[in-house]
Amino acid sequence: MKKFVVLFALFTMVMSLFSITITMTAGAVGKELEVLNEQVAMFMEEYPEIEVRVLPMPNSATDRHDLYVTYLASGTPDPDVLMLDVIWPAEFAPFLVDLTNDYDYFELDKFFPGTVASNTVEGQLVAVPWFTDAGILYYRKDLLEKYGYEVPETWDDLYTAAKDISEMEGINGFVWQGARYEGLTCNVMEFFHSFGGEIMKDGKVVVDDPKYYENNIAAITFMDKLIEDGVSPRGVTTYMEEEGRRVFQNGDAVFMRNWPYAWSLANSPESPVAGKVGITVLPKGPGPDGRNSATLGGWNLGINANSSPAEIEASKKLIKFLTSHEQQVYKAVNAGQTPTMIEAYNDPRTIEANDFYADLLDVFLNAEPRPISPIYNEISYQIQTAVHQVLTQQKDPKQAIDELARNLKSLE
Amino acid sequence: MKAKSDYKKADIWLAFWLIIPTLIAIGITAFYPLGQTIYDSFFKWSLRPGFQREFVGFQNYINLFQDARFLNSLWNTIYFTFFSVLIEFLLGLVTALILNAEFRLRGLVRAAVLIPWAIPTAVSSQMWKWMYNDQYGVISLMLYNLGIIEQGTPILGTPGLAMAGIIAVDVWKTTPFVALLLLAGLQIIPNELYEAARIDGASMWKQFTSITLPVLRPTIGVTLIFRTLDALRVFDVVYIMTQGSVGTETLAVYNRSLLMDNIFSPRGLFGYGSALSVVIFLIIGIFTVIYMRSLNIKLD
Repeated sequence: MKKFVVLFALFTMVMSLFSITITMTAGAVGKELEVLNEQVAMFMEEYPEIEVRVLPMPNSATDRHDLYVTYLASGTPDPDVLMLDVIWPAEFAPFLVDLTNDYDYFELDKFFPGTVASNTVEGQLVAVPWFTDAGILYYRKDLLEKYGYEVPETWDDLYTAAKDISEMEGINGFVWQGARYEGLTCNVMEFFHSFGGEIMKDGKVVVDDPKYYENNIAAITFMDKLIEDGVSPRGVTTYMEEEGRRVFQNGDAVFMRNWPYAWSLANSPESPVAGKVGITVLPKGPGPDGRNSATLGGWNLGINANSSPAEIEASKKLIKFLTSHEQQVYKAVNAGQTPTMIEAYNDPRTIEANDFYADLLDVFLNAEPRPISPIYNEISYQIQTAVHQVLTQQKDPKQAIDELARNLKSLE
Repeated sequence: MKAKSDYKKADIWLAFWLIIPTLIAIGITAFYPLGQTIYDSFFKWSLRPGFQREFVGFQNYINLFQDARFLNSLWNTIYFTFFSVLIEFLLGLVTALILNAEFRLRGLVRAAVLIPWAIPTAVSSQMWKWMYNDQYGVISLMLYNLGIIEQGTPILGTPGLAMAGIIAVDVWKTTPFVALLLLAGLQIIPNELYEAARIDGASMWKQFTSITLPVLRPTIGVTLIFRTLDALRVFDVVYIMTQGSVGTETLAVYNRSLLMDNIFSPRGLFGYGSALSVVIFLIIGIFTVIYMRSLNIKLD
């Protein structure tokens, strides 16, 4: 017996010399964590010498940011693989392993160019896109049909249909994310871009540039008008993703702006609007500058620069595995998370599980990133505050844009 | 201070050695971080790798008092503190007087009153946030039925109303605590005092102002210090319900934003955030001294 124990101890010691343990942070929204655990199990089967520990994180992106700040500022070598929001790479770049030379290893040519660009900081690749996100328009097929409206192509179409139907049905017209937080910045970008406006370009503040100034004001005026005229409930100024989704899924709104995650929930068996929901690109703004625009969201995988070389090697293998075509399809089918590899959308398994993906491929392809900057948090705060003050009747649109321009320029 | 101690020299030495571990623990956990924060507040620096620490003297403090966001959050904090502490104190006093009276099931009522205080603030804030919801919120419905707000008013998205909503949550949560502290003070007042007063023909109000309030004064002082210090650094309820939007940002919420959201900022905001921490510390310190002086409280 004693001999056996000694032998066993020796065996594990020898094994541990060749095996390595890495930790990765992960989200736990919906079926995300469950699916990731299955994927990690597959990975460990393929690479028995690597053991992966999954560390779930809080749901709110702000709380995750706080968590990472603590990890990275303290210089701990754990966790090795970090799940990063699309707006973080510029800020966290100094703490991440430079992956520029591994470009071909991760087959990044096969990814959406926008997702790769958002992980490139001053020419350096610091993370690999894992799944993507873009703002899309949800609408009630049954209600549009009932009142003879087409799927809206412009914001004005949406305004008319939403106002008309909501008044006749006694429900809300259009819900979106209007609380003062990161989600509002995403919505603002979409409104501004679709009206032909712009806040920053190539790292320069252009919000009051004559080329964009009028369009920016038109966009913010339109957002305000939605609330003033009752097309959007006044409560949108307190809504984040879930507040709006609850209203829409309850059957209390005609249109909703949200991320793709809401699709499977809106169509789940217990949802009152299951089967009645359509999905499309966000509408165009008026005038010659009007275009469809969706803000790029999504999550990436980067490696902690404080990890040991062996851990970094193992982490690269894990990231390659998780971002491979096969695993992206697996994730899309089982967790409904949108792939970053273009080919994954043509896979019959993906198409079968998420038939709306095909219509939205264009949206994901052309999704527009938020400003890439190491002081992104401050930029976003200024944008949120300026617009939120208009939406809550504290400033008028022109005043807010002028002030935003001044504040953003003082950050330069 | 007594000139001559009753203790033997050996006893004093023993006491000294026994107190050393405590002093070290306090030094490490309280004074060292405080000193470090004060030191950091004189620099422009961030935790971004390769950032050059730059000595700026009092510049961070000067900038702070020209920063509209700081001045707003300072005003919001004082506003919140004044109203929440005032309302909590008055409601708490009334509650304590009621609970001090003899009635059936008094023990049960005393325990039940404490429930709001036992719920973690994060949980109650989320709960109230739902009750304030513009479409499904029960409080919104009640206020609408009473004709106080229009239908569909987002309480937490309306300037002015949002702060009132936050104060209401704080009052709901903390009044039991205030009542409990004051109740403890009430119970040390001997009944004979009231009996004597009644015999002398003192009215209920006279009894209250001449017996209850004076005896209760030290308790009131401690209660007000506790509450004011808590209110001045209010964070969780504000952050969870509004993230500090529509005029509800308090000093602690702004401080979190500087130290967490912008910790790696190339603009070097860590020192600035430290300066804000020091200012919060000073404000709380000043309030404490004012209270202790005006209420004649001694800590020994």
